[in-house]
Amino acid sequence: MVLTGAAAWFFWAFALIALIAGLFTVLSRSAVHSAVCLMTTLFATAGLFLLLGAEFVMGVQILVYVGGVVVLFLFVIMLVNVREERLENARLFSRQWLIAAICATVLGLAMWFGIRLADPYQNLRAEIPPAEATEAKTNPQGATPVSKNSETLAWSLYTQAALPFEIASLLLLVAILGSVLLARTSRQERIDERSVFRD
Amino acid sequence: MIDGSLFDLSASTTKFLILSSLLFVIGVGGVLARRNIIVIFMSIELILNAVNINFIAFTRHWQVLGKINEHTGELFTIFVITVAAAEAAIGLGIVVSLYRNRETVAVDEIDLLKW
Amino acid sequence: MLKLLFLVPTLPLIGAILNGLFGRRFRFSERTVAAIACGTTGLSLLIAIGAIIDYSRSLAPTLYRNTAFAYTWFDGGLARTVTGSVRQFRVEWIYQLDPLAAVMMFIVTFVGFLIHVFSVGYMSGEGGYYRFFSFLNLFMFMMLVLVLASNFTMMFVGWEGVGLCSYLLIGFYFERDEAAYASKKAFITNRIGDMGFLLGVFGVFALFGTLDFGELAEVFRSGGAASYVESLGQWGVMSWIALGLFVGAAGKSAQIPLFVWLPDAMAGPTPVSALIHAATMVTAGVYLLARVNYIFAAAPSAMVVVAIIGALTALLGAAIGLTQNDIKKVLAYSTVSQLGLMFLACGVGAFTAAIFHVFTHAFFKAQLFLGSGSVIHSLHHEQDMRKMGGLKKYLPKTHWTMIASWLAICGVIPFAGFFSKDEILHRTFLNGKVLYAIAIVASFLTAFYMTRLMAMTFWAPERFDHQPHESPPIMWIPLAILGVLALVAGWVGIPHALGGSNNFAAWLEPILIKTAANTEVHEASSSIELSLMLVSLLVALAGILLARWIYLKRPEVADSLSETAAGVPYRMSLNKFYVDEAYNVFPIGATLRTSEVLMQVDARGVDGLANGSARLTQIGSSISNWLDKYVVDLLVNLQGWLVRAGSVVLRSVQTGLVQNYALLMVLGLIAFVVYLIAAR
Repeated sequence: MVLTGAAAWFFWAFALIALIAGLFTVLSRSAVHSAVCLMTTLFATAGLFLLLGAEFVMGVQILVYVGGVVVLFLFVIMLVNVREERLENARLFSRQWLIAAICATVLGLAMWFGIRLADPYQNLRAEIPPAEATEAKTNPQGATPVSKNSETLAWSLYTQAALPFEIASLLLLVAILGSVLLARTSRQERIDERSVFRD
Repeated sequence: MIDGSLFDLSASTTKFLILSSLLFVIGVGGVLARRNIIVIFMSIELILNAVNINFIAFTRHWQVLGKINEHTGELFTIFVITVAAAEAAIGLGIVVSLYRNRETVAVDEIDLLKW
Repeated sequence: MLKLLFLVPTLPLIGAILNGLFGRRFRFSERTVAAIACGTTGLSLLIAIGAIIDYSRSLAPTLYRNTAFAYTWFDGGLARTVTGSVRQFRVEWIYQLDPLAAVMMFIVTFVGFLIHVFSVGYMSGEGGYYRFFSFLNLFMFMMLVLVLASNFTMMFVGWEGVGLCSYLLIGFYFERDEAAYASKKAFITNRIGDMGFLLGVFGVFALFGTLDFGELAEVFRSGGAASYVESLGQWGVMSWIALGLFVGAAGKSAQIPLFVWLPDAMAGPTPVSALIHAATMVTAGVYLLARVNYIFAAAPSAMVVVAIIGALTALLGAAIGLTQNDIKKVLAYSTVSQLGLMFLACGVGAFTAAIFHVFTHAFFKAQLFLGSGSVIHSLHHEQDMRKMGGLKKYLPKTHWTMIASWLAICGVIPFAGFFSKDEILHRTFLNGKVLYAIAIVASFLTAFYMTRLMAMTFWAPERFDHQPHESPPIMWIPLAILGVLALVAGWVGIPHALGGSNNFAAWLEPILIKTAANTEVHEASSSIELSLMLVSLLVALAGILLARWIYLKRPEVADSLSETAAGVPYRMSLNKFYVDEAYNVFPIGATLRTSEVLMQVDARGVDGLANGSARLTQIGSSISNWLDKYVVDLLVNLQGWLVRAGSVVLRSVQTGLVQNYALLMVLGLIAFVVYLIAAR
């Protein structure tokens, strides 16, 4: 697959934003800054998903990841970090930062070699089949037809991945219960205990 | 880097893979190097994100190569996002509990299981 | 009756066992003990007399071997003598009877029985009654084994046995120091003599390959030993053997130099002194010489030694006995002196005369001892003659019986001692004038001191403290019997010169084996014999009268003599010529010092070695300890230390920081990725 022309420019843009934002996520002093940078990375990634034709996933990414997870992060930062920012002007990185950097670099190099060893780009440079291009041209009104991506994805989801789907819903249930229990205050726990014993 | 894959301005799957691995490496560095546990969690989200990019890139790759109805990568991504969300919820719940007990969010200071 | 010969020694043995093992346990009364002891001995006496009569009627003078209850003790193989001849060696336990053994057996059983009876009265009331009679019976058994033995080995059993019984009986009052010391001295001195005895026996065995008396006699009779017979002046192997046997006899019969135990042996009860140290045990030596007279006859040089020592002993004994104040000591030295006479007789070849003197001496000496016992008993154990005197009035029976023995020992005709002593003097005169002179002097001294004894005890003015009382019949009847024998016993040997037929010598004649050396019996004329008799009578009379004059008429002479010029010999005699003191210096002192030196060797050397080895073991074990502590423990501890050190290193992995664990996970991931790439 090769993206050419304008898609390529968008690719570079999104890619660079994602990378730089990711870098800042890791290197920011303030946790809020890190959260915002994370959000940026996720938005950029969503854009990349769109470029690659996965519209549904893009939507899910923005709704769930950005709208849910990052907001959750921000709430928790608010809960725990307020004092943290003022009091601690201490180290940002732990004592193993050097080894961490080296490991990351080595890992990167290893993956680079892995990518290089893959089939030398012929496969990866395959042209987009003419069928899709034809379909893009045969619509004269200029209106872009609705992508069939969600439809086919839904078909795959509810047929191929039906079991993981159900399990995922179970997982979410457990996560909900778990997070409610974990986040209880001790006062809430005592109230509950008393109500249990009264039975 | 002798071949022109990097200096080529078109975005091939290779480029997506390189991007994905870079993001992954950044995320790993963050997990290993930062003291603030919230930031570590964010780095984990970065990693997961990088993996998602990888999946979607390959979905498109295979679709381009012939399999119209190939959605495996996307499905996988959906589930990764789901699990990431659940994990974030639980993890942050733990962080809150931890903060209530130890009054700190620096992982350096939580070493009760030290020898 | 002859067949019952084996009972003669066995009956006293049974009595000894009964009294010894059961006397204390079952608390035999004195009567029971006495009945067993005297009963067995008396029965033995009757059988002995019967056997002798039987023997004299039927078999005499051939050797009789009693085969009932005999058994083979050693059955050796073939014995090779030094000459190379080979003989079957066998030692048997079998009693034999021949004229010599018959005489001795009679003496032992008869005198033994009388002394048993006497002891019943003498020892009554003493502690250890059963023990005394048990030992006395045991002694009878041992002495009879000695006398009736058919070979050297059996005789040696009896020899040692009588020594043992002597030790037991001398030390009867073992709580007294002097008795214990005296018994030890007797036994040890005896053992020194036994060394010589055994050497002699070994020599006999080496030369002839047999220890049996009958076989030896046969060898000598048939001339098989002709090559060993020596002549006077030669000193060969036969003389050595004879000397060895004589040393044994000297130990047993108290000759110079081994006589020192006999006077000390008087610490035992008086009946013991009478039986063992007058009548029987001490005559065992003379018996030995008579038994193997052929060996001595073949070694004339040794016979000279025997004669000289016998004469000197006779003189020395008499010289010491002259001044002693203890009545028993006087009699002891008298015994030494008389034994010397017996050995003198053996030395000049008059074996029959020696045995005759043994015969008569047994009766009168036993009588004298028992009489002194009666005196001591009546004076409540007073033994010092200076505290006696005038007892003639109070102890008439004792007195008159002792008169008989006194006259016998002085050698007054017709009492027993005259005939036997006279025969000895006669034969001595024929063989050596010097010896005769010594013997005559000894006889004079004997008469003197015996009269002194009688005077101080019975005839001198009274000097005692307590009122004495006559002894009971059980004590004076044996005295009387012996007194009568002291008178008549000599009449069996009246010599031809006086018209008798000398039955005794004729009876004993067959045991002598004539070899070239002693065949020359100087048959002197009757006139010499008669004149010699007269001389000895006169000498005896002189002694008696002199003593009577000194001790009865002029007692102050004795005292003044002891202080003046005669004082030195007097003190020498009184102190027994310091023989015991000399012995303490030389053999005894040397032995003690040698043993002390050896003890030092043992304490330092041997114990040093032992302690040294213990020290080595200690050092070894401390090295071991060090090795264990510093090497072995080092290794063990090293392991532990390594584990700890390793764990100190390894546990640093557990930092408790999650980020470190994450790092490790990433490292694992890197490894995995690298592997995947490399495997491509």
